[in-house]
Amino acid sequence: MSTVIEQDAARQRLAAQLSRVAIGDKAALAEVYRLTSAKLFGVCLRILDDRGEAEDVLQQIYLTVWQKAGSFDAAKASPITWLVAIARNRSIDRRRARPAAAHAALEEAVEVSDPSPSALADLETSEQRRRLYDCLGTLEDKQATAIRRAFLDGLTYDELARAGGVPLGTMKSWIRRGLMKLRECLGT
Amino acid sequence: MSDEPQNLAAEYVLGVLDQGERREAERRIAREPAFAAEVAYWEARLGPMADAVGEAAPPARVWRAIEATLGGSAKLGLWQSLAFWRGLGIGSLGLAAASIAALFFVAQPAPKPMFATLQQGQAAAFVISVDMTRGQMYVVPAAYSRDVQRVAELWLLVPGETPKSLGLIDAAQPMMLNVSEPMRDHMKEGMGLAVSLEPPGGSPTGQPTGPLIAQGKITSL
Repeated sequence: MSTVIEQDAARQRLAAQLSRVAIGDKAALAEVYRLTSAKLFGVCLRILDDRGEAEDVLQQIYLTVWQKAGSFDAAKASPITWLVAIARNRSIDRRRARPAAAHAALEEAVEVSDPSPSALADLETSEQRRRLYDCLGTLEDKQATAIRRAFLDGLTYDELARAGGVPLGTMKSWIRRGLMKLRECLGT
Repeated sequence: MSDEPQNLAAEYVLGVLDQGERREAERRIAREPAFAAEVAYWEARLGPMADAVGEAAPPARVWRAIEATLGGSAKLGLWQSLAFWRGLGIGSLGLAAASIAALFFVAQPAPKPMFATLQQGQAAAFVISVDMTRGQMYVVPAAYSRDVQRVAELWLLVPGETPKSLGLIDAAQPMMLNVSEPMRDHMKEGMGLAVSLEPPGGSPTGQPTGPLIAQGKITSL
């Protein structure tokens, strides 16, 4: 586990590379890719569960980073949070665009994998991470599990309900109640 | 159905919405700052959950495809002098134009005068002339709207190196900026200049910490 100072330094390095990407520095984009592509590819694979699609989406993600780096604001977001949000949004959109038949087939393959340590995890402040997990711990198990699964696998309410064998309304209720409690716990 | 109120921002970030609802959320992000802030809140708060996902090295062909797509297309527009002068306008920004013209004349017979227009989107936000005989830059804010809470800091971008601060600049009126000795060798054609928004007093880290609001390249006439 690296120290807080090392985490800050790594975050600043990544933020500095992103500001260079914003002005069209391809070497900086290559460096951002080197530092973050394994993390983001993991995120894509988890949501898409298909290597070919994940490779496609990963490519789109870094082209989006190339175009949008100027809108990254280090005062407002951590660089890895910003990158993961792009990766998740792109992957979720790709997943949603699949024909209905593909959903049913792939649903079988979705499974909850064990948390594994990630070097880039250090780029998030450990304080934020601790707070989130403390707050998730205050939810009912079924609420916390549904929220975690929705985030990691990018499933819709409908998919979550079917995967969990509960009515759609029940799943919505678990997640919405869970989110309300999380909001109270996490604060502003 | 559930009786709980919908929290569209949180549900967007969580990823449970269908395509139609996602596009609706994105339209609101673009139009409603409060909604965009709510989305940013959830992205920051839920983001650490992604730590649970293991890393997976992508095959080399992905980067090759990215590189091929970027190709030789430079993202920065080159010096578009016609567009620039048209954009500057005779009336509204006459002062800026006159200032720059004056500098040209006093700088004779200096090394080739150098310029940069720092674009903010399509508009010229700052016009900078560089006088290396005197080691000075003249920074003219053009179509730039001030941020009341943050100050503008000017950066020199040398390929392969981290951005170098050239100092804080005045967003309200033209100003002269001395180029420090170590920076002078880098002040040449083709180098990038960029302006970021920083907390009062400038970047606390020596690197840009706020958004880059304008950028451009040094060019000589």
